[in-house]
Amino acid sequence: MAVTSSLDLDRDPRSIIGTREFDAPRELLFSAWTDPKHLAQWWGPNGFTTTTYSFDFRPGGTWRFVMHGPDGRDYQNLITFEQIVPPERIVYRHGGADDVEPVQFRQTVIFEDLGGRTRLIWRGDFPSAAERDHVIREYGADKGLAQTMARLADYVAAQV
Amino acid sequence: MVKLSLDSTFAALSDPTRRAILARLALGETSVTDLAKPFAMSLPAVSKHLKVLERAGLIARGREAQWRPCRIEPRALKDIDDWLAHYRRFFDESFDRLDAYLQKLQAKERNNRGPKRKDRKDGRNKQPRS
Repeated sequence: MAVTSSLDLDRDPRSIIGTREFDAPRELLFSAWTDPKHLAQWWGPNGFTTTTYSFDFRPGGTWRFVMHGPDGRDYQNLITFEQIVPPERIVYRHGGADDVEPVQFRQTVIFEDLGGRTRLIWRGDFPSAAERDHVIREYGADKGLAQTMARLADYVAAQV
Repeated sequence: MVKLSLDSTFAALSDPTRRAILARLALGETSVTDLAKPFAMSLPAVSKHLKVLERAGLIARGREAQWRPCRIEPRALKDIDDWLAHYRRFFDESFDRLDAYLQKLQAKERNNRGPKRKDRKDGRNKQPRS
């Protein structure tokens, strides 16, 4: 089974876009996001488990959960659903409470029907600064975060 | 404490001028005047960008009165790098797990469908396997 997957930091200076294809119908893939019982089966990197406190899957609703890391650390999380269009799209905001991990970003998940298979597009936008649209318009052609990171990573590696 | 500024770090990095400034500083400590040279902007405009970078913890400025040299603070970049690595890991590994879970669900569905169909009386099943 050929699974294609990529994570692209260069398309836009403000976002990280990932695409991935699944050998499953779109409705099934979408339903895996709509129920904490499903989410507990796959959410988080290897070694992480997820405990849900509350789950309200509707626009404006929140998902409060903790991710238990393999190192024993707990990561408190809050997700607020902004847009839900079954089975095509979910947009949610990550962060925004005092007791959760202090990184805020907006995640857009798009489910594309490929006839029995599904392409998932996973786009994270950082951060929620007011001039975002202006920046994208003005600097859309800029090479973006990835290049800066690549350049600076060498520097950091040499320093730290 | 550094973690709290991750948002402002991302905001600071979102501007190409500031990224160019960082790239220049990666070559070594530099004065504001030298930093401003390649850009078609005034010293105050460059200072504004430097303030954003400084607030985000990406650069530090010397206290030596006259030329206050700017230099990169690797810690904030390291935090961003760590966070991106985690984000990437989430993307790769969560979706590997999701893929496996979906395969399991579909296999289960196929198994459940098999015996049920046999029980139907309407004779509409074509069950090739016996």
